[in-house]
Amino acid sequence: MQISVYVALALLVLTAIGYLVGRRQAFVAAAGRPSELHSLPSYYGYYLALWTGVPALILLALYGLTGTSLVNTLAMGELEREAAPLIRAYDTQLAQDPDLSRLNDAIAQLEADAQVARSELDKARRDGGEVAAYQRSLGDLTVELNRLQGEISQVQDRIAASIAVRAPDNLAGDRARAGFEYWRATPDRRDLFLTDARALAFGEGFASRNSSALIAAGDAMRPWDEMFRWSSAGLAMAMALGGLTWMRRQITVTFRARNRLEGVVSFALFAMSGIAILTTLGIVLSLLFESIRFFAAIDWRIHEFLFGLQWSPQIAIRADQVGQTGAFGAVPLFAGTALITLVAMCVAVPVGLFAAIYLSEYASSRFRAIAKPVLEILAGVPTVVYGFFALLTVGPFIRDAAVLLGYEDAVTQSALSAGLVMGIMIIPFVSSLSDDVINAVPQSLRDGAYAMGATKSEAVRHVVLPAALPGIVGAILLAVSRAIGETMIVVMAAGQGANLTANPLESVTTITVQIVMLITGDQEFESAKTLSAFALALVLFALTLFLNIAALRVVERFRERYE
Amino acid sequence: MTAYEKLQAGASVRQETLYHPVEGSYTTKVATKNVTVHYGDKSALNGVSIEIPACTVTSFIGPSGCGKSTFLRSINRMNDTIDNARVSGSILIDGEEVNDRNVDPVVLRARVGMVFQKPNPFPKTIYENVAYGPRIHGLAADKDQLDAIVETSLRKAGLWDEVADRLDQPGTSLSGGQQQRLVIARAIAVNPEVILMDEPCSALDPIATARIEELIDELRENYTLIIVTHSMAQAARVSQMTAFFHLGSLVEYGPTEEIFTNPRDQRTQDYITGRFG
Amino acid sequence: MSKLAPIRDAVMERLPQRHRAEQRFQAYGLTAITLAVLFLTLLVGSILTQSLAAFTAHRLTLPVTLERELVDPRGDGSEASLRRGSYNAALQAALRDQFPTVHGVGELRELFGIYSAINASRLLTDVVNNPDLVGQSVDFEFPISDDADRYLKGASVSERQIDMNASLSIEIAGNVARLEAQEAVLAPFADRLRQVMADRANRYAAAAEAALASARQTIDPDEREILEAEAQRAQMRVQQLNERLRPGADFLLGPREPSLLVRAGDTIVRLTSITSGGREATGEVLLADQAWSGSVTRWSFWEIETPAATRLITDRQMVFVRLLEERGLVRNAFNALLFTNADSREPELAGVRGALIGTILTMVITIFLAVPVGVGAAIYLEEFAPRNRLTRLIEVNINNLAAVPSIVFGLLGLAVFINAFGLPRSTPLLGGMVLALMTLPTVIISSRAALKAVPPSIREAALGVGASRTQAVFHHVLPLAMPGMLTGSIIGLAQALGETAPLLMIGMVAFVADAPNFGFTGFTDPSTVMPVQIFIWSTSAERAFEARTAAAILVLLVLMVLFNAVAIYLRRKYERRW
Repeated sequence: MQISVYVALALLVLTAIGYLVGRRQAFVAAAGRPSELHSLPSYYGYYLALWTGVPALILLALYGLTGTSLVNTLAMGELEREAAPLIRAYDTQLAQDPDLSRLNDAIAQLEADAQVARSELDKARRDGGEVAAYQRSLGDLTVELNRLQGEISQVQDRIAASIAVRAPDNLAGDRARAGFEYWRATPDRRDLFLTDARALAFGEGFASRNSSALIAAGDAMRPWDEMFRWSSAGLAMAMALGGLTWMRRQITVTFRARNRLEGVVSFALFAMSGIAILTTLGIVLSLLFESIRFFAAIDWRIHEFLFGLQWSPQIAIRADQVGQTGAFGAVPLFAGTALITLVAMCVAVPVGLFAAIYLSEYASSRFRAIAKPVLEILAGVPTVVYGFFALLTVGPFIRDAAVLLGYEDAVTQSALSAGLVMGIMIIPFVSSLSDDVINAVPQSLRDGAYAMGATKSEAVRHVVLPAALPGIVGAILLAVSRAIGETMIVVMAAGQGANLTANPLESVTTITVQIVMLITGDQEFESAKTLSAFALALVLFALTLFLNIAALRVVERFRERYE
Repeated sequence: MTAYEKLQAGASVRQETLYHPVEGSYTTKVATKNVTVHYGDKSALNGVSIEIPACTVTSFIGPSGCGKSTFLRSINRMNDTIDNARVSGSILIDGEEVNDRNVDPVVLRARVGMVFQKPNPFPKTIYENVAYGPRIHGLAADKDQLDAIVETSLRKAGLWDEVADRLDQPGTSLSGGQQQRLVIARAIAVNPEVILMDEPCSALDPIATARIEELIDELRENYTLIIVTHSMAQAARVSQMTAFFHLGSLVEYGPTEEIFTNPRDQRTQDYITGRFG
Repeated sequence: MSKLAPIRDAVMERLPQRHRAEQRFQAYGLTAITLAVLFLTLLVGSILTQSLAAFTAHRLTLPVTLERELVDPRGDGSEASLRRGSYNAALQAALRDQFPTVHGVGELRELFGIYSAINASRLLTDVVNNPDLVGQSVDFEFPISDDADRYLKGASVSERQIDMNASLSIEIAGNVARLEAQEAVLAPFADRLRQVMADRANRYAAAAEAALASARQTIDPDEREILEAEAQRAQMRVQQLNERLRPGADFLLGPREPSLLVRAGDTIVRLTSITSGGREATGEVLLADQAWSGSVTRWSFWEIETPAATRLITDRQMVFVRLLEERGLVRNAFNALLFTNADSREPELAGVRGALIGTILTMVITIFLAVPVGVGAAIYLEEFAPRNRLTRLIEVNINNLAAVPSIVFGLLGLAVFINAFGLPRSTPLLGGMVLALMTLPTVIISSRAALKAVPPSIREAALGVGASRTQAVFHHVLPLAMPGMLTGSIIGLAQALGETAPLLMIGMVAFVADAPNFGFTGFTDPSTVMPVQIFIWSTSAERAFEARTAAAILVLLVLMVLFNAVAIYLRRKYERRW
């Protein structure tokens, strides 16, 4: 890393030199009459500086982003090749091991049984019959399957250990063992292996363990690392110098430096606005990609995900058995989200709307000058603070109040407290959007109503609100979209139990809560449980996108009408 | 007697008691004394005193920014809706002080209707636009009476034949001239005594303008009309009395013919002959 | 009166009703605003009151003797040797010096439970920095445990002391003490406790009754079974309580009852049973010279009303802490650790420094990515872009991106930056990138608004004197739009400053005990940020974290106010109306 910093500094110096040289060259080319030049001399300088610095810096940045993984891949590929004899021996051992073939047979048998049980469970579900027995037997099968798979990996580990000691006790042997270990590891363990090896070799952080194989792997990385480091540095310097000398020769009196520079600038600006598109693309693709992997893991039972009534991803023990127990039915999450959103809207819409009406139609400008910032403060409070407020103040208050009123089962984490606080959070959102649309209603309409002898409230209710209605609907849609996507308040205040209930005093869970639970849980990334978070996020994204587009359309129409 | 019947009766009472068909002997409807209007620190109108006769058309003319619209808006206290507007002086309608604290602007505006420069029908159906006034003031006891009021008003505004079969369409779907007549129908639906019109034809084409001018002339029979206009020709065509405003003051006031043929003030003379404006 | 009476009558008739409607409507509006203000007051008020307890903490100062054999095991005074010393043993010895009569393993564990052993690491640092301290005695100040701190603040235990002036003889044998008074001084307490227990028995009886009644009504056999079992349990409790309340029997005190301590000098006894007459009692010795026995006339009752079962600090620990306080070794002072320490599992040692540095590093990345790119994109879209489908697509896309839930950006970071690009998890670099993507639409939208507000005449004037489009934009439009752009950007960044959810997705929720390096390498150190720290603390079990969470919230709010104040200042200073 050190060298890259020095190279970057050197490049900056070179870029500055490029500017000076460019300007000088322009003067030289003009032969004492700078007014002959097509552009101002400094443009030549900027243009030359651009060609000196930018390509080299891009190269350096590319190295920074990909260098580590390139080194890892190359070094480990080398080690894996050296481990080829071990791998071959391991494969033959596996094929010959009697225990393994017995276990594999048993697993095949169990999977066939599970297939049968599953289809019977489906049938029973369709016919509305008793499903508990099937579920239980399916569960037993799953547990047994797990046990067998555990045994298999034990046998594999044993064989691997016996193979690994065959490698000679020298550097070559260590390298082969490292390649072998890496070859056998799961993706997560591979990452850990690489991190540890790098820690030992380059002192990046602390290694979680220390072994000769790890040291060998680290040593194998070192030459690759050196090579990339120096070659990227050298290449960057060469590009900078090359750009400098080549472009310098291009500078003549007629060279259109300003136009070229402006072309580059406007392309850069275009690229910047393209980042927004790339972000959307990244979101859509990553969500889609991971969701597809999730749906594949649950045998493409998308309808069960969307319409299933039971959500208990914790049951899933391993990726290939999940979903088959039907634990990924997201309806309770949708229902919980809807319930909390409803409560929030019941708070935010009346309060926000009336506040907006009062502020825009009744309040004196002094009152407005005080009240508006207060509302804006509500909007600026971080959601985690609202979550804390819901958890420690509102939640206990609602529980105590409910108990006092005779509802004994009240809990602190309820849909009501989360919804209430979320409503408070959304008040300024509703009020400022409504304020905008109410102000967009032309004064002539109000004048018309007043001239008819309408009172203020009559003018508002009969004329202003109907005229602003589409805009207000748009504002409410946006508020709903925000409520659905809100995370921290519900994570802290709504609870985690996937209850399918319409009772706001019970605890419910939402799409966002489950995404947080699934991702922050210590499951490995590849499991269906973790992947299901992406499917949930896809639903969330689609839902909010739809609401947002609808809202923008409605508001757009409204604006067109009065402009 | 239902409110509707009162409404009908009210209309007839007025004709008997207020209308003096003999030339030159009008009853005074609106009388103002020393009306001054400030917007913040800026004075928009200084000391206007005028007597406006009943059942005539009076037009206010003058160059832009001369205060004629401001004066018009003070008659039904529309200036109340502007935050920093201050009105002083006295405005009497039938001898009653408009600016009195006890006068409810809601009641006042039921008596003094107003039509604006740009037609501003509510985003409702044609029927609802006209029915709005009677509805909020509770002038109709049932649907039949309301229907009758709507029809009468639209007929008086000369719009009935054009919209009778599409009363349930939005008022905004009409053409500009129709919209302005709709707004007039809306104003006369509560049977006001005075109708204020703020450049009612400035947004309309000549044909629609002619139609509105005809209508104004017809309305004169039952209502006192005050019109702000930029067009001197229009003032000459429709009004019996004309007032000329300049720089926030009333310069000259008298029968229209006199003002246009024999102005007493040099400024009036200059304005109507087109020297400035 | 007017000649138009009939019509005006009609209008007047409805007028009062309409005015009432008007007032009602206006009242709704005022109520709405009052509610919003009330909510804000409640929010800020509850956080302020909750945070108060975190700004002070009780600290214990002990004379600690740094015996050479304890802190310098190899005896050579080298740093390696000093680092292997057992400093906690030195602290423990210092504490034992304060209570020389405490011996048993359990009692010592209670004694050492009033502070956390991690404090010894600071002692280690002190000694390593100044090896001359070895063999000397130093006054070492450290925070006592959160439970003891909350007790001393009166937040977790309600108690009272009553001074008595009556003859009382105390006989101590081993751990047991026998008390005998000449009058029935113990009777009032025993009676009151009896009343409490009788009430409890009545409540259980009522609960049993209710459970049985609903069991009779229900038809679901499972539910009935559950209810009946519940009733049985309650009845058993009633029986047990009645057994203890039998008239004439000794009154026994357990962990579910308030503790009753008798204190005579430094001898403190917890009563375990009181005879029915209220004259005699037996108890457990909490603190005393083993052999001490005798008669006293000046002594005191120490009644701890919160039962032992519902508090986290034991009777004996309360005695230790109180006595240390009486000896002037404990003082309540400003809790500087809250600002100078990073996160810790021990509430009394936990601070926001790590999160604060993490926040600053993260925001640096966000600012350097989001502002230039956002402003650049806005300039392109507003000034250069041809009006075609691609630019319209970009515009629609930016508007929609602004409404994408923040958590989705976190997942994007997880899937793309971590899994595809292999960037290090939990780091300010990654967090800053994710937040930058999230803030970008806001920056673009507000920057475009600022550019739009610059009148076209400025551009035309520049173009008119022969400037190129780029020159017109960069020399004339941009300087005028800059304040507006900055204001909008700061508001977007303030949002990012308070954002939590996306950072949870990229692992910034991990427990980080060391503050990240406040420098260049800090960007790739694992760290957390203020909002996430608030989230972590708010979900911790220890009650003491509640106040610390509220205090951290205050720190975050102050940060946000600073941010917004800059925005307001810029707006005020450079605002220009066209």
